[in-house]
Amino acid sequence: MSDIEKTNAENEELEQLKDVPEVKLVLDESEDDAPAVTEDASTEVAADEEASTEAEEKSYASAAAIPAKQKGLKIPYERRKALYGYGFIALWFVGSIYFFIAPLIQSLIYSFHQTKIVTGGMEMSNPGFDNYYNAFRKDQYYLPALTKMLKDTLLNTPLILVFSVFIAVILNQKFKGRTAARAIFFLPVIIATGPVIDIINGNMSTGGYAGGSEQFSSMFETDLVDQLLNFLGVYNISDQLTEVISALTSDIFNLVWKCGIQILLFLSALQGIPFSAKEAASMEGATAWEYFWKITVPYISPMLIASLVYTIVDSFVDPSNEVMTLVLNQSKQWEHGYSAAMAWAYFAIIGVILAIVLAIINKFVYYEVD
Amino acid sequence: MATKKEEKEFEKERKKYLKERMKRMKEEGLEKYFTPEQIRYNRNKRIIGAVWPIFRFLILFGLGFVIMYPLLFMVSTAFRPNAEMNDPSIVWIPKSFTLDNIKQTATVMKFDIFSGFAAKDNTIINTIYLNVISSVLQVLTCSITGYGFARFKFKGRNVLFAIVLLMIIVPPQITTIPLYLQFAYFKLFGIIPLYSGGEQLSLINSGLTMYLPALFANGIKAGLFIYIFRQFFRGLPKELEDAAYLDGCGPFETYIKIMVPNAKTSFLTVFLFSIVWYWNDYYVSSSFFTENNTVALMLKNLDANLQQQLFQGQTVSVRQIIVWLESGCLLSIAPLLIMYIFLQRYFIEGVERSGLTGM
Repeated sequence: MSDIEKTNAENEELEQLKDVPEVKLVLDESEDDAPAVTEDASTEVAADEEASTEAEEKSYASAAAIPAKQKGLKIPYERRKALYGYGFIALWFVGSIYFFIAPLIQSLIYSFHQTKIVTGGMEMSNPGFDNYYNAFRKDQYYLPALTKMLKDTLLNTPLILVFSVFIAVILNQKFKGRTAARAIFFLPVIIATGPVIDIINGNMSTGGYAGGSEQFSSMFETDLVDQLLNFLGVYNISDQLTEVISALTSDIFNLVWKCGIQILLFLSALQGIPFSAKEAASMEGATAWEYFWKITVPYISPMLIASLVYTIVDSFVDPSNEVMTLVLNQSKQWEHGYSAAMAWAYFAIIGVILAIVLAIINKFVYYEVD
Repeated sequence: MATKKEEKEFEKERKKYLKERMKRMKEEGLEKYFTPEQIRYNRNKRIIGAVWPIFRFLILFGLGFVIMYPLLFMVSTAFRPNAEMNDPSIVWIPKSFTLDNIKQTATVMKFDIFSGFAAKDNTIINTIYLNVISSVLQVLTCSITGYGFARFKFKGRNVLFAIVLLMIIVPPQITTIPLYLQFAYFKLFGIIPLYSGGEQLSLINSGLTMYLPALFANGIKAGLFIYIFRQFFRGLPKELEDAAYLDGCGPFETYIKIMVPNAKTSFLTVFLFSIVWYWNDYYVSSSFFTENNTVALMLKNLDANLQQQLFQGQTVSVRQIIVWLESGCLLSIAPLLIMYIFLQRYFIEGVERSGLTGM
């Protein structure tokens, strides 16, 4: 279908809609709600959506076979509104072209070149996949750092999510001192993004000073976990398992400090659970355990995706993770092309993982508005 | 509508009545009224209701301590004379208090509030300038953009919104170097050289590297803010605008007069987060500033600066300068902490009520 035909059809459709306001409202909502369901910080989903709206437009066009009766004003109302829409986002659009899209593409171009800084800009030579080849085949640090990073993310993400849900459920209950408890648990949100956390963690320099986290774990070092494992009879069944478990328990400091935003997200989802659901559950005699699995989890599952994406992206862009350190080091040594290639490969891998995880999880998510 | 006080009284009476009824039922034998399952359910509920608060307190207290630990340690160390740092008999409370560490660190970090308002020399004034201007610009432009995405239908909206999502996902590390070059040789698509006669214009070290992206809704974490505003504006009833349109308001006027007053909480939340992230940012500022001092940069370089200025260039281990490091931390987060103590209600409730809920 040609563009002109499409716009014509759209005009007719819009004018019809103008005549029948109720229909318009319904249509608006049905189209508005669909994005709310799927737009969860994933480009993949957004792309899908684009496809679906295109399909919708097509169906409008075929449905609007009735010829136009009135030509109306110079510019139809809806068209005028669309123009205003462009006006509202114009500032951001110009900015994102200059401050986001252009640098993004530029860095992609760097990644395919040998680069050298000269006066006036970047000199590029020797185009090809050399940087990527070097990163994966020659660099002895990149691949191990990458696999370690992926492994850590795989292990930490579910842990952070479960922990945040747990804390959020507790903080959502009514008890004395709840405000104070909430204030304390959100403290990491304002502190953990800054360089202060580096000093707290002792990452800044390794001059023999154990940072807060190590100090903390050594302060309370006990064999409690080992004893517990012994008691359960799973101690020494597999060295790896023991290692993983004790690594987790001794890392409680970092776990708690990473959970601020996630707790906030889950708490806001919990506040959205209607009172009627709780009432119905208690009428039916649901225990707290059943209530959690049958009411709480479905209601907060949309937020699960948001938290999941946030957690993965957060651990990905954290400047103190090993891959990021490698990337930044290369860029400090003026190897910008190489550094960009490393970052882009890393970015692509995370993107693919995010897409897969989202595709799987999306099937288990419950949306109230269907 | 009953007032809160009255409701409390009603609740009390209800409980009293239920208790009395329960007592009567018990006397007559519970089996008469309830099935065995119901009895078991009620008993379990009662037991859990008695035990759970204790567990909850233990969990919250323990984890709260984990979070407060570094802060407590910071306060305990910052006011402690350096000599007492290696005293094994001191764990939390030092034998004597001193303000020397704080004062010395403040000098090293150029933190002196009273030395005048020459912006570039004074870390904290400079940071506040940068923060507030960028945050205000960012909040205004992000809200306008968010409103555009929330309430107008136009072609390519979804593609454009995908860019917003991309802005959230792509780490700043990827775009910083090209951006640095863009700022260092600021051409603005070749417009600037036409006016300046071929002279190079460099924005490095100027506050403009922060203000310009913020003005164009592309500052730090701008994608997230646009998202929050969009979600919030979508949640407002459409009738509000329709009424305004009927009364002859244009879209922009509607936005200023109707939407902005309704979005106060959302504005405050985004403004607070924006302040926090600008305050804490050291990656972007360390790329664009070499002489311009911000609190985060000063803290990042505190280690080196201390060795240079307090120890005449000797290399000292972190163990020896820990009191100064911790006072530096305390100094740099104190403004944030003070803000948080007064406004934490808005941080928490703002996010709960505003945009993020519909994410």
